[in-house]
Amino acid sequence: MLRKKQTKNNHNQISSNLVENIDKIKNDFSYQINNDFSFRMLTAKFNQKDICLCYYASLVNSDKIEQSIIKPLLEQDGESIANIVTVESVKVLTDCDEINQNVTSGKVILFMEDHSQAYSIDVSQFEHREVSQSENESVVRGPKEAFTESIHVNISLIRKRIRNQHLVSEVLHVGKRSKQDVQLLYIENIANDQLLENIRSRINAITADSVQNVELLEQYIEERPLSIFPTILYTERPDNACTYINRGHVVLLMESSAACLIVPINFWAFFHNIEDRYSRVMFSNFARAIRFLALFLTTMVSALYVALANFHTEMIPLDLLLAIASARDRVPFPLLLEVLLMEVAFELIREAGIRIPNPLGPTIGIVGALILGQAAVEANIISPIIVIISALSGLTSFVISDPSFNFTVRITRFIFIFAASLFGIYSLIICFVMWLMYAISLKSFGVPYFAPLAPSYQSNKNIYFRKPLRNEKWRPKYLLPKDMKMLKK
Amino acid sequence: MDKWIKSTVLIVLLIILSSCQDMIEVEKESFVIAIGMDVTDQEGIYEFTFQIANPNIASPMTADPNGAPDEILTVLGADIMTAKDKADAIVTKRISLDHTAIFVISEELARSGDLLRVIQPGTRTSHMRHDIQIIVSKEKAETFLNNNNPIFEQKPYKYFQYKITQTKETGIIPYADLHRLLQITEGDADLFLAIYATTIHDEEEIEKSEDQYLAGELLQKGGDKTQFMGSAVFKNGKMIDLLTAQETRIANLLDRTVPLNNILVTYTDPIKPEFYISGNYIQTKNPDIKIDYDAKANHATIDVTVLFEFEILAIPSLISYAENNEHKEILEKHLVETNTQLAKKFIEKTQEEYRSDPFYWSLYIRKYFKDVPSYEKADWHNNIYPNAEVNIKYELKRLQFGKTMSDTNLSEVRD
Repeated sequence: MLRKKQTKNNHNQISSNLVENIDKIKNDFSYQINNDFSFRMLTAKFNQKDICLCYYASLVNSDKIEQSIIKPLLEQDGESIANIVTVESVKVLTDCDEINQNVTSGKVILFMEDHSQAYSIDVSQFEHREVSQSENESVVRGPKEAFTESIHVNISLIRKRIRNQHLVSEVLHVGKRSKQDVQLLYIENIANDQLLENIRSRINAITADSVQNVELLEQYIEERPLSIFPTILYTERPDNACTYINRGHVVLLMESSAACLIVPINFWAFFHNIEDRYSRVMFSNFARAIRFLALFLTTMVSALYVALANFHTEMIPLDLLLAIASARDRVPFPLLLEVLLMEVAFELIREAGIRIPNPLGPTIGIVGALILGQAAVEANIISPIIVIISALSGLTSFVISDPSFNFTVRITRFIFIFAASLFGIYSLIICFVMWLMYAISLKSFGVPYFAPLAPSYQSNKNIYFRKPLRNEKWRPKYLLPKDMKMLKK
Repeated sequence: MDKWIKSTVLIVLLIILSSCQDMIEVEKESFVIAIGMDVTDQEGIYEFTFQIANPNIASPMTADPNGAPDEILTVLGADIMTAKDKADAIVTKRISLDHTAIFVISEELARSGDLLRVIQPGTRTSHMRHDIQIIVSKEKAETFLNNNNPIFEQKPYKYFQYKITQTKETGIIPYADLHRLLQITEGDADLFLAIYATTIHDEEEIEKSEDQYLAGELLQKGGDKTQFMGSAVFKNGKMIDLLTAQETRIANLLDRTVPLNNILVTYTDPIKPEFYISGNYIQTKNPDIKIDYDAKANHATIDVTVLFEFEILAIPSLISYAENNEHKEILEKHLVETNTQLAKKFIEKTQEEYRSDPFYWSLYIRKYFKDVPSYEKADWHNNIYPNAEVNIKYELKRLQFGKTMSDTNLSEVRD
């Protein structure tokens, strides 16, 4: 491997002939066709040699080039380039591949006559959005800022919260044609080495041409792409990311993603919410109880209705049963179809609501839900109780805030409805047990999906409910952190 | 891959072949609320009356003001299930017994001893509840169900539910569900009490002291025709006698398996016997039942201790029981004595007449036997209970006088 690399190096060595170098780079970057690839030739004052600057005009700060590179080179005397150029980051390059990569990431490459080295000067200026409020994970109590599409800003948002010299941001590259940086953020003396090695090897194993952002990266590094359960947490909140980093998780960041990935993760992370930590312990536990109820309702209520009304009518109070029967009397469809009709309609409204241009969105949602439900009942297409059932299961699904897990829950609901329609509660329970067995069998970067509940690990027992912060003593054992203790006494 | 194909095929086959076995749409079922059972001239053939709820009365949106709340249908059959099949031929929707709450059995059928034969499918089918209440009607069950037209309650199933809970609270009807009937009858000990009810009233009220009535004996003007009062005594599945409201109450209070309630009772005034004292009889604890069993002599001594409280609600004689300690003592003694006497009298009656008990006391003697055959040999019904020595002791734990201590002085008012 090492030898191979060396031979490659020799092959791509920068020559000391400036013209040769310029020809090569012109060729590599399709000069003249490629409109924003720019050249600037000048003669340096300090040694009277020809110098060539090449860069992408769209990626660099032109003022900075003028003020910190061109002007000093033309006017200043000095011993070497590093002493003349006033930009903060100057790197020496010897390899042609490195040159290409540096140009594409917004650096100016400086070639000098009779010099077999090139200089990479960082003047990049990627355009990005300002830091704005978190939209998908909004909280009532707690910081409002969210990641934006710039890796530097994102890392600074994290460093702002973790003032620790052991917080490391390690760079890996992905993509064979378009090379992108992936930054791993972790606390060096907490995060487990094997875990890091696992993450590195998965990222290095990616053979794709280009991986634009973390949303795509997630799909390349996860264990089971066909599973209905997410195994990587995706969050747009820097404070959330920091909480996980402090526990010993690893955060993955990329340029042009307003979010990060957190690995490894378990089921509970999707169920918990960052606001659980910000609210006082009783309040957050109350919220969790509500969320559990919502999780149960959203996955089960439609399926239970199908099971009870089709198979176990003896379990419904007679009053309600007769009301259902009399309403169903005028509906031409079987009960299962009725439930599916309404559930699918709800999913349609929901999907449309996301795609519709902003000002129309909420209106369509309300119109869709109200008019559709009401009109369908009046037209005897569905019975009124179905509207309640599907509204309940639809509404409660919004309580599950994580977008990935939300999909899990919604797909699960349909699976359960079909299961319930086979043999009632009997098949519903079988299906639920199988669903649970599958979920428990999953792993995220080697960590069991239901840890620390099953299998049991030493942790803060932040599972169903959480403890007061003062009693949180341990980092989760399932991450095998280098330091288990969270509180130092 | 092969494994996947095989398992997929198996699952698909399982689904197709089983074809949603039990499934039925709710609107294709009609729900029976009550089943009446009568004898016919033919042996082995009985008359079954099904009261079927009209689903349209359940929701105000679909309710038809002129629609009947129920449909009552009578067919012949050998047991409930065959009768249900026959009724299915008449009713438009499939009949479901899942929600049946009431069995009405005519006194004639109950006394004939065929009851178990008729309701036997109830133990086999999964489509019948075990908490079905058993009512014995004085008249034919068919007549009972047809006559029972509650004035306020539009929904017949609500009527039975309310009526039975309400009367149970006053203690004048027993706890009588199907499960208890089967349990007691198969246990081959104790007596089962069924609710006694009727829609036919006596022409004249017989003068009786408070609570000694049976259903049908209360004179009423207006109101619902149906009276629930007293109980029918079943021994080995055959009805043998009737208990009055008062006897039913005693049976309830001495039975540890029956939930406790506050009961309104009336006693004679100990100082002026022409007046009555009424109040709440409160029993917060189940009676303490201790059985000593002498295996050699096959003789049992049953010690029963009942702790009760009494809250006085009315003293029409206006005697100051609250303020005068002497009077109070007389009253306390009187309450204990009256209760003891009534209970003793009733227990004697059960020992001599029925030769078994309606209190489910056989539960407390079973521990003395090492297996079922030896217990059966000892024979609770015929040997142990009728000859047992029963010591019953009432203890008054607390006497309350309600909100006021003294009553209005009538002589002062008359001034």
